[in-house]
Amino acid sequence: MKTRVLLVDDEEQFVEQLSERLKIREYDVSACYSGEEAVEQIKQYLYDVVILDVAMPGMDGNEVLKHIKEQRPLTEVIMLTGHATVESAISGMKLGAFDYLMKPCDTDELTRKIDNAYQRKAEQEERIRTAKAEQYQTSPWSALGDKK
Amino acid sequence: MNPETEKTLTFFGKMTANLTHEVKNVLAIIQESAGLMEDITAICPLTEKKYQEKFNRSMATIKQQLHRGIDLTTQFNRFAHTPDRASAELNLVDTVGQFCLLTERFARLKHIGLTAGEPPANERIRLTTNPVQFYMALFFSLESCLTALPADTEIRITPQKKGGKSPAIEYACTGDHLPPAEEFFQQLQAADAWSELREMIGQLQGEVECDTNDLRFWLIF
Repeated sequence: MKTRVLLVDDEEQFVEQLSERLKIREYDVSACYSGEEAVEQIKQYLYDVVILDVAMPGMDGNEVLKHIKEQRPLTEVIMLTGHATVESAISGMKLGAFDYLMKPCDTDELTRKIDNAYQRKAEQEERIRTAKAEQYQTSPWSALGDKK
Repeated sequence: MNPETEKTLTFFGKMTANLTHEVKNVLAIIQESAGLMEDITAICPLTEKKYQEKFNRSMATIKQQLHRGIDLTTQFNRFAHTPDRASAELNLVDTVGQFCLLTERFARLKHIGLTAGEPPANERIRLTTNPVQFYMALFFSLESCLTALPADTEIRITPQKKGGKSPAIEYACTGDHLPPAEEFFQQLQAADAWSELREMIGQLQGEVECDTNDLRFWLIF
């Protein structure tokens, strides 16, 4: 299955061009152009990795990150920043972002980070599956609790 | 520095930082658009080989100039943030590298080379100071050298620890067309920028030390 990527940046042309490049590299890419739109998308759909611009009008990258981590804690986030906002990107890392990149970024570096982020998400999911399987073995009734 | 000057610098810094941020966005769009064109022709090359070669050469030039533009705006963005704090700890290797990149054109216009030297064994040299005034001291030193040197010479600026402990910046002039040391230092000291340097280095509580045998001088902090 392709890695599901959501690209969030208010620079529409940047998003369009980068989306195309990531699609060529076999990623399943969706795009949105504001923090508010991103939060709605995250509620409705599952993404493996979100690439998130730090400085956007309205809801900024760190606010969006908080929403993502509340709603989809396993979704990994890579922050995109111009130099002026490196400190915001670092505070994003403290809030649980996987990594950050300076804009404009090298595409190979970006795809490497997307792949690493996806890998971490997959490992986390695997650990959760294993823990649940152990839980069901020791306490089969807990499976019913999970289905509620 | 008086409060009015500080306010003015902060204002200019904010405007410049904002603008460089916008320029980086423009460069990012150009980079991705050029990258997409490259991706597409990698999948589906142009039918005539000679046109594909021309396309590749042109793309290489675009990428090279993009890197140059990104590098310059990144460094200029950092520079624009220097008035943000009245005192900050500077990594002198990074600061001198950044300074040389941003001022290299001043030297180039006079056919003089400008390079950032590496301190011995990649030593990390740090200094807590007023960043704007420090940059001004670097600039006045460079301007003085550019006044005193002829074309086809070279200025190397190297951060180092003078006497093993004091952070310092060495200005060393080299080349085949160097004037005699006495003449060089006479012209250096006659330059307006040298008087400005003296004043600025006093405010930074540093000193200037000259090596009159070797066309070198140091800003010592």
